[in-house]
This record gives sequence, structure tokens and C-alpha cells, in this order.
Amino acid sequence: MQRSVLDSLGVEIIGVISPVSICMLLVVLLVSTLSPSASDSAAAAASATTAATLVYDESPSDPPGRRLAGALLNAAAFVALITAATTLLVVLYYYRFTGFLRNYVRFSAFFVLASMGGSILLSLLRAAAFPLDAVSALVLLLNLSAVGVPAVLSPAVPVLLRQAYLVALAVIVAAWFARLPEWTTWTLLIALALYDLAAVLCPRGPLRVLVELASSRDEELPALVYESRPASASVSHAVAALGSVELQPVEPAPPNPTLSNRNVDPDRTIVEIESLEEETSPLVPNEPSSSGSGDARQQDIAAEREREREGERNQDPSSSSSLPGLAFESDAFDTSRGIRLGLGDFVFYSVLVGRAAMYDLMTVYACYLAIISGLGCTLILLSICRHALPALPISITLGVGFYFLTRLLLEPFVVGASTSLVMF
Amino acid sequence: MERRGETIDEEQGLIGPRPRPGGGGEGVSGRRTWPTVDGPHGLSEEESAAYARSYFYWGFALLPLLWAVNCCYFWPVLRNSHPSPHVRRYVMPSAIGFTIFTVLLGSWSLTFLIGGEQLFGPAWNDLVMYNLADKLGLTGWT
Repeated sequence: MQRSVLDSLGVEIIGVISPVSICMLLVVLLVSTLSPSASDSAAAAASATTAATLVYDESPSDPPGRRLAGALLNAAAFVALITAATTLLVVLYYYRFTGFLRNYVRFSAFFVLASMGGSILLSLLRAAAFPLDAVSALVLLLNLSAVGVPAVLSPAVPVLLRQAYLVALAVIVAAWFARLPEWTTWTLLIALALYDLAAVLCPRGPLRVLVELASSRDEELPALVYESRPASASVSHAVAALGSVELQPVEPAPPNPTLSNRNVDPDRTIVEIESLEEETSPLVPNEPSSSGSGDARQQDIAAEREREREGERNQDPSSSSSLPGLAFESDAFDTSRGIRLGLGDFVFYSVLVGRAAMYDLMTVYACYLAIISGLGCTLILLSICRHALPALPISITLGVGFYFLTRLLLEPFVVGASTSLVMF
Repeated sequence: MERRGETIDEEQGLIGPRPRPGGGGEGVSGRRTWPTVDGPHGLSEEESAAYARSYFYWGFALLPLLWAVNCCYFWPVLRNSHPSPHVRRYVMPSAIGFTIFTVLLGSWSLTFLIGGEQLFGPAWNDLVMYNLADKLGLTGWT
């Protein structure tokens, strides 16, 4: 039976879109249950003293001109900080301080889970008035944080647990970022989308340099990357062993997520596509190679597993990029894995949706659809371009555009029409 | 590309010679099972023993969740569908330890929850987490 493009491609795409959607949903829930109301913006604005509000601490009483200028300065400062952090990472990686990087990732994961995650947990307890005692709460928190460290780093955890912890980390960081003042958030998102574009595509961009370094060394970077579960057994009963001729032998490039300073901000991410099926099926739809590659992929999984999953997959939602080289060479260098998306993408999509949630639910729907379409476009582009791509620009642009269009044009129309009982 | 000629199907067993790391678990019919719950994406036999041991010892640092992860991850070993003595001698005690710890912590927690102020008196208010969090300002992110 012929397997269509949708069978193989669809499963993989769902494998990425589901966690992104779950992350966004959780952030929206957190933001709407825990945040002070929109009218209480003074308290909200005063709360977050972060790296992003270094230059200008926004307050709602300022005139729009001043707020815009302040927001731009904030965004510029933040992007500069991110660039510096990424450059530092590149330097460290170049001089092979891998042990230091791994330990830093461990520490950061634990710290974020314990402090920021703990804070959120306690706020939830407070909001729900759940009478959990201090001892149990502390033990629970300690356990959840401590298990998070091997869950994102070591290969010896169930895939679902790793994915769950990565999504949890993204939710925590995004919920924290959504507390930034409004103008700053929007300018920051746009600035980061531009930075991502530059850093990944420019020849001297730090992320691109990092990717090339890592692929030339044939290693994985220590960074946090979400990897969807490789589609496996369903392919098994397909026609075996025919695909080899069609598949080009390419150097296997283990994906290398870039690291960035966790405490400052998770970095841009690059979507990378690994599974050979995605690349070959659209190109050779009539070949049984898609099934063959799936079979061959499975048999090669264990062989490459030890090499690939040697856990430098830590920390930071930075960019993960990889050259989509999957090879069926004689010694089975198949790196067929699921699609990988860096954690920074999760975070900033969720920040956008979280900020939209602070206005109204209509904007949430609009932004969610925009982001998902942007992500889909990026994935399609990835299968065409076959090299590391930034995942932020398209989605953020669409998301921001849809937010403002909805807020300024759609909402007055819908609300007006409903209250006048004309429509809706 | 010599692997092409051999059928691979992790679900239905191994047919034909294939070099593969990690032994163990092969039954008479050649059905291949895996020590981890992830199946072919999980660890191999030798690595499993090392990780199972490290999870077991680290769990003593007041981390029963590590024991739980140990049990979950090596579920086939626990259920004996994949016999592996090296792994099992760490997974079994982990399971027992996790159960005991859960019982102890759960009973204390439930006593606190259900007993409330009637049982503890004014000390209840000092021990409840949300009061403690407010007092220490731990929900400071809000």
C-alpha cells in the first residue's frame, strides 16, 4: 500500500505542533489565572525587573512616545545581551569547554525549575487555596526539580518525560516573560525575530557559526532542544529495503542546539528536520523509499543511538540547528529522528500568545492560528531549503500582525455587532 | 548498504544477522525485547545497568521520584517481560523504596489535609504552604 506524503509528513508535523500548542495553552491558562487583572497594570509593570527592562522601566502613565522609545531601547539592550551570550557560548564551545557548558546547563535547568517553577507552583497553591503542608510541598518541589535535570540532559529517561519537562521549562520561562510591560514585550518579540533571522542566516551570525562548528566536529551542542518522537513501528510493515538508491548519502549531522544564557533568556531556535522521510517523500512520492527508509531507519536507530544521544542536549532553548543530512551508508549513519525545535521558539510563541491572552480571548485565537500557520510554513520551507532555518521570524511576524489587526479592527466589529444583536 | 537485504522490524523480531549492541532478551523464537519502555529508542543492555544503579543510589537523597523514573523507564524489566538480572537488582528495590516513601509522605500529607486545625491547633496555619509562601514572599513573581 502506498504511503502518501501526508502519512509520514503529517505525523512528524503533529509531533511538533502538539507540544507547541500544549505549551501555549498552559501559558494562557497560567497567565489568565495568575495575573493581576488588566486594569491593575501598575502592579504588573512594577513587578518585573529583568534584563529586558534594564534601560527603561515602563509604567502605564507615560505618554506613548516615551513608551515606544523606552521599549525600543529595552529591546535593543536585550538583543545585545543575547548576542553577547551567544558569542560567549560560541567561544566556549570553540575552546572545548564542553564540561563547563554541560554543568551550566544542569545548574540552569535545576534553578529555573526550582525557583521560577516553584514560584508558579506556590502561586497556584495560593490561588486554589489548596492546604498542602510545607514539608510535602518542599519535598515535591525538590523532587520535580531534581528529576528535571536528568530528564532534559541524560538519555536514560522515557522520551515522554523528557518532552514533558522541556515543555514545562518553556511554560515556566514564557509565563515569566509574559510579565514584562506591554510595549516592551511587543518590541522585544519583533527584535528577537529579526535577530533570529540575522543570526541564523548571515554567514557570520553566531548561531550559524555554532552550527557549523558543531557539525564539523560531529558533535551535539549542549542545549535544550525539543525532539519529537521518531515515527516508528507503523512503518514497519511496509516494503522493505528498496529506498537505498534514492537516498543520497550525506554526512550525518547531529543536531546542535546552541546554548545561550539561560537566566537571561532562551535563545532563538532553528527548526531542523532530521527524518529522511520528510525529505525524500515530498521529492519522490511514488517511491516506496519512504517506507523503506522507515524500516531501515528503525534498524539503524540503535546503532546510531549511542552516538547521537550522548546527551549534550542541554539547556537553553537556543537554536538548534542541524544540517538535514541523513545518510544510508553502509555503516548505517542514519540519524533519523523526529523534528527538532529549539526551546526558545516554544518560549517566544507562548509569550506572544500569553500577552494576547492578557487582552482578550479573541486575540488568543487569532495569534494561535497565526503562529501555527507560521510554523507550518517554516517546516515546509525547511524541507525545501534543507538547512538550518530560524523558526521565529515568520510566526512572530504573523502573530504580531494578527494581534494588532484583531485588536484594532476585528474586536470592535465583533463586539459592536454582538451587542447590537446584528450578528454573532 | 548491506543492511538493505535484511528485514528489520523491531516489533516482529529480528530476522537475519545484524550486528547490534547489547545482547540479552532474545527468546527462542527470536523475538527481541528491550529493557526500556522506549523500546528501540531507549538504552541498550549495558548502559541500562549503569543508569539503573545511579538512579537507585541518587534516590536516597530524598528523591523518590528518581526511583519512580527508574521503575517507569525499566518497566519491561520490572514486569519480567525482559529478563535482565543486572538491571532488576536495582529496579526492584527502587520500586519498593518508592512505594514506602509514597505511603509515608502520603499519610502525613493526608493527615495534615484532613485533620486541619482541629488536629494541629494554631500550628496548622504555620505549616500550610501558602501561608508560608506569603510570609516569606516566595510568590514574588506575581
